[in-house]
Amino acid sequence: MPRALLEVSNVETYYGPIMAIRGISFTVPKGQIVTILGANGAGKTTILKTVSGVMDPQKGSVLFDGKAIHGMDPDRVMRLGLSHVPEGREVFPFLSVRENLRMGAYTRSDPGGIAQDLEMVYEYFPVLQARADQRAGSLSGGEQQMLAISRALMARPAMMLLDEPSLGLSPKLVKEIFDIILRINKERGVTVLLVEQNANMALHIADYGYVLEVGRIVMEDACARLLEKDDIKEFYLGVKEAGVRGTRRWKRKKTWR
Amino acid sequence: MALTFTVHGQDTVPKLFRHVVRERGEKTAMRAKDLGVWRSISWREYGEKARHVGLGLVGLGLRPRDVVAVLADNCPEWLYADLGTLCAGGVTNGVYTTDSARQVEYIVNDSASRFVFVENEEQLDKILEVRAGCPELVKIIVFDLEGLHGFSDAQVLSFGALLELGARYEREHPGVWDSLVELARPEDLAILVYTSGTTGPPKGAMLSHRNILFQLGYSDFLTMPRDGDQQLSFLPLCHVAERSFTVFYPLRSGATVNFAESIDTVPDNVREVAPAAFFAVPRIWEKFYSGVALRMREATWIGKVMYRWALGVGMRVADARIAGTRPSLALRAVCAVADFFVLDNVKRSMGMHRVRGAATGAAPIAPELIRWFMALGIDMREVYGQTENCGLATAMPHQRIKLGTVGVKRPDTEVRISPEGEILLRGPHVFMGYYNNPKKTAETIDAEGWLHTGDVGEIDADGFLKITDRMKDIIITAGGKNVTPSEIENQLKFSPYISDAVVIGDKRRFLSCLVMLDHETVAQFAQEKNVPFTNFASLCRAKEVQDLIWGEIERVNRQLARVETIKKFRLIEQILTPEDDELTPTMKLKRAFVNTKYKDVIDTMYAET
Repeated sequence: MPRALLEVSNVETYYGPIMAIRGISFTVPKGQIVTILGANGAGKTTILKTVSGVMDPQKGSVLFDGKAIHGMDPDRVMRLGLSHVPEGREVFPFLSVRENLRMGAYTRSDPGGIAQDLEMVYEYFPVLQARADQRAGSLSGGEQQMLAISRALMARPAMMLLDEPSLGLSPKLVKEIFDIILRINKERGVTVLLVEQNANMALHIADYGYVLEVGRIVMEDACARLLEKDDIKEFYLGVKEAGVRGTRRWKRKKTWR
Repeated sequence: MALTFTVHGQDTVPKLFRHVVRERGEKTAMRAKDLGVWRSISWREYGEKARHVGLGLVGLGLRPRDVVAVLADNCPEWLYADLGTLCAGGVTNGVYTTDSARQVEYIVNDSASRFVFVENEEQLDKILEVRAGCPELVKIIVFDLEGLHGFSDAQVLSFGALLELGARYEREHPGVWDSLVELARPEDLAILVYTSGTTGPPKGAMLSHRNILFQLGYSDFLTMPRDGDQQLSFLPLCHVAERSFTVFYPLRSGATVNFAESIDTVPDNVREVAPAAFFAVPRIWEKFYSGVALRMREATWIGKVMYRWALGVGMRVADARIAGTRPSLALRAVCAVADFFVLDNVKRSMGMHRVRGAATGAAPIAPELIRWFMALGIDMREVYGQTENCGLATAMPHQRIKLGTVGVKRPDTEVRISPEGEILLRGPHVFMGYYNNPKKTAETIDAEGWLHTGDVGEIDADGFLKITDRMKDIIITAGGKNVTPSEIENQLKFSPYISDAVVIGDKRRFLSCLVMLDHETVAQFAQEKNVPFTNFASLCRAKEVQDLIWGEIERVNRQLARVETIKKFRLIEQILTPEDDELTPTMKLKRAFVNTKYKDVIDTMYAET
């Protein structure tokens, strides 16, 4: 097994008095795509925020490449090679697409490399080149998502945290973006931690998956095996065996095995 | 020959129900939550709904002594169906909602049920799946139609439609209801209660009106009823204890039954309801205790000191009561202070501050736990009984407490110990036998009328009964030592980290056990100690958790004789739910089943030396 690039161990994160993450541990091996699945409010976004330093954990440790990064400011974490693509894109709406991408390379000082990477993201997302001078706020949702991923790539990260890249996009666009995430992972060797509600997509591109429920991990396995589990099929993939009446509204109880 | 027993001057359940409905009228009989708000149902409404259910069933062809099954979680409709059926001369039979379609089929056929009430879509699907194999079945009635719009079937009707049928039948046959209510005689079969049966298929125990009325006559032993008393219903109504407590006991006491929203919301619902009488199985009492134990660990230091002090005072008062002496005036004064500042708050935090009578039964409980509740000032009494004696054979008397025993026999009954050590019971509480099963009946009730309980025990000079174990559970180790596993298991279950345990060792060199963790407390322990874990299995495998459980076992071992100590253990690495075959509907591990299912795991403990 490749050595773990990210090691999260027993993390607890609070929103005021409310414990959003209740003692979570997981690892992301170098070069792999790991996904965390969960319903609304399970704590997926909080995990990413805790890893990238936007939020600080009350307890536990986050090791990136062997170095403790919990409690560190987000910009220092980012300089270490960990880029966070937040939920809902968060591009700079009044800057042009090109300026947005250059903002992604803000911490770098190698103009040659930056130009090279700009070419690379245009190659992944040709539409961004076509819209390079347009204000980012005028892009469609899908284009903004592409821009957010590209902006993160411009920092030449060793690892990317992706928070629901499929949010609000058409099935066709989702497929396109997931294909490119997979390519980025394979071609550039970027390790990916992917948080998703679109379990079907996520399980098909990721290597390993964790299932999160109300702040705790209830299941973990290789994605190929997760796809076979009854609980995953029923609660995350919406597969139902037809009942005696043809339709069935009730759900069986979750057992996580 | 047999005596007649009456409650409020009535000798059958239908007559008693009719009587109390007239007497109590607009007083509140029960409450249930509707969209999160408690709604009251009066006795008048209860009576009317039950009448329409009964007459509706008669309109559909119910004959006297026909069996009607109810497959639903606790709700007002369950009670309408139950009393409606009884008043119409029928027999009710509760089925566990956790049963599989196959088990439902077995019980419906074994009892020859002609009508089945189902709670909702989920339960309906079970019966639809197997109805082709249920030739006696006439109609299925559904309480909750959600998700069934557009579904129609000649054999299925809604509860609302049944009530309308009943109302119409009443208009067309005025006065028929009273003659139906008069139909049953005290010695007639009233309800069937299927015993979960850890071995072999379940058997339907027949309880008569007399059995029920006889037991109701003793129900005040816990506490004298008062106006406005509340109680909470949450254990399965198919179980004889909850059935007696929720359906029959209020007919005597007039208490209002409140239905918990689900088993998960019980702690919240107890706080909302603040019951006066509370019956629960040990597992629920253990939950209350671990909840407080956990909160106290997170309390401020002053809170901890106060709690320890107050509990110490409470313990001294409890010990005085157990010893049968009256605590000194000074101690009582200190206890009043402790109660005012601490103990009352602890009780309030659980919703137990109005409890005048608390009972535990249906499974063994650790005496330490009873002592803890007594220290809080809750009058907790252990009762012992079975389905076959209508729920109650012995109870802890108010005047004299002997922990570790299940109290003294219910008055007007007999109890003795057979030469083999088995507890035998005789009296008006002994059931009529198993439905259509004279062979099993003869094995259970002997020629002299003694009921063979299958429990082993002894009676002391004061008449207190001590249960040692189930006859078939006694372990004889390879060394020839007799061990009673339940005593050890109760000690283990007292740990907040252990939800249930099964001791193993029959024909083995030493004792070992399988442990089911309390998920919540162990997960919290792991968080506190910074133990990384992902899912339940990885939590079980964590070294710190293994050490924690071993520490709990060691603590119990110190209290045991040397031959009896537990040498090894394994954790059950799955979260179990009542749907799983390992557990009974009341969340107890089934010994025989666990022994077979986990044979490989058990063998690993004896393979290594």
